[in-house]
Amino acid sequence: MGLNKMALDLSTNKYADVSYEEKERLFAEVKADARWNHVMYGCYECGICVAACPSARFYDFSPRVIAQAAAREDVDLVYTLMNDSVWDCSQCFSCDRCPRQNSPGQIITIMREVAVKNGLKTAKQALEGYGRIIYKIMSTGTQVSPDMLQPNAFPDWGGHVKEISDNLEVWRKALPPETLHTTETGWQITDKTIVELYLIWHMTGVMKLIEGVDEGLFMILVDVMEERLADAGYDDVSFD
Amino acid sequence: MEHEKINECVIMKDLYYSVEDNTWIRVNEDGSVTVGMTDIAQNLAGPILHAKAKSAGTDRKKGKPIATVESGKWVGPVKSPISGVITEVNEKLVGDAQLINRSPYRDGWVVKMKPESLEAELKELVTGDNAVAAYKTKIEHDNIKACTHIEGSDTYE
Repeated sequence: MGLNKMALDLSTNKYADVSYEEKERLFAEVKADARWNHVMYGCYECGICVAACPSARFYDFSPRVIAQAAAREDVDLVYTLMNDSVWDCSQCFSCDRCPRQNSPGQIITIMREVAVKNGLKTAKQALEGYGRIIYKIMSTGTQVSPDMLQPNAFPDWGGHVKEISDNLEVWRKALPPETLHTTETGWQITDKTIVELYLIWHMTGVMKLIEGVDEGLFMILVDVMEERLADAGYDDVSFD
Repeated sequence: MEHEKINECVIMKDLYYSVEDNTWIRVNEDGSVTVGMTDIAQNLAGPILHAKAKSAGTDRKKGKPIATVESGKWVGPVKSPISGVITEVNEKLVGDAQLINRSPYRDGWVVKMKPESLEAELKELVTGDNAVAAYKTKIEHDNIKACTHIEGSDTYE
């Protein structure tokens, strides 16, 4: 029963309410990506990619199915996979051993980006759990902070997580480099780094992506960034 | 104070709620309002690590963030249920953000504000039995799990 719940439903009726034109539009966006012609050449279903894929061992997931659907230009199936399958890939690129030089992993990268840019509900759900990590990396430049070690957040780390989290400041002060005496960030970050980082997010349009996926996250990031940038003399930078 | 429990989640009847954003306000005698997170919000967030409010003097429109709240794996804004200026920030939250978990309606308030157009905006919030009914619907619709309360939480009989 538990396994059945994990099974990938490849019947096209699941997304029958989405028009063919909309699915075609999204696939066209995938194919228009500059990387597309370097990662999709055609698939003869040898299965070498599946044999190498760690995700295929644990989920009902197959890089071959992705490459096949893309090569056959099966618009309905590509849409289903873009919603229900691409987030099971760990992006390790073990599948980059295809005798025809396809890269299912990179096809998935493009499909994910299109899913995010178009604000697909499944993309929002898949990324929901990463909110705090995205907030951390975008607001501080460090991805993992020591204070993420909380018993309720990492029960799989075992009972000693509580002991670590209760005495986190002491543990961190025991580390020789002073720049690591932090709990909210992985290490101390200079103002210059932070300001440059915010300007990069601003110039590359990353914030627009975030806005489409998680409005609350966008809101608090803008708040932090605009204030810090204004302090650094960039009063004219706005994310609206 | 009169309250009701839905699925172990406490709703105080004397407060005004923005149900969608899971925030409440209390209208104080001096005309200021106190803003906080609901019991349901603290439950969804889990044990809170940091609650960083905007500083006093900040002018906020309704729906804009007045604080950022972080728990182990979650982060999100506390959206202001009204428009106005922040006049006071709950300093106790700086060292003890879990005060929000333990006492969402009393000691764990987030900011106090001087409202801009309270009379008009109160009409967009719900209170009393209407608030209870609205939360019943929301809890059912969003399939919100029963509220849990960490050690030392306020008790409501």
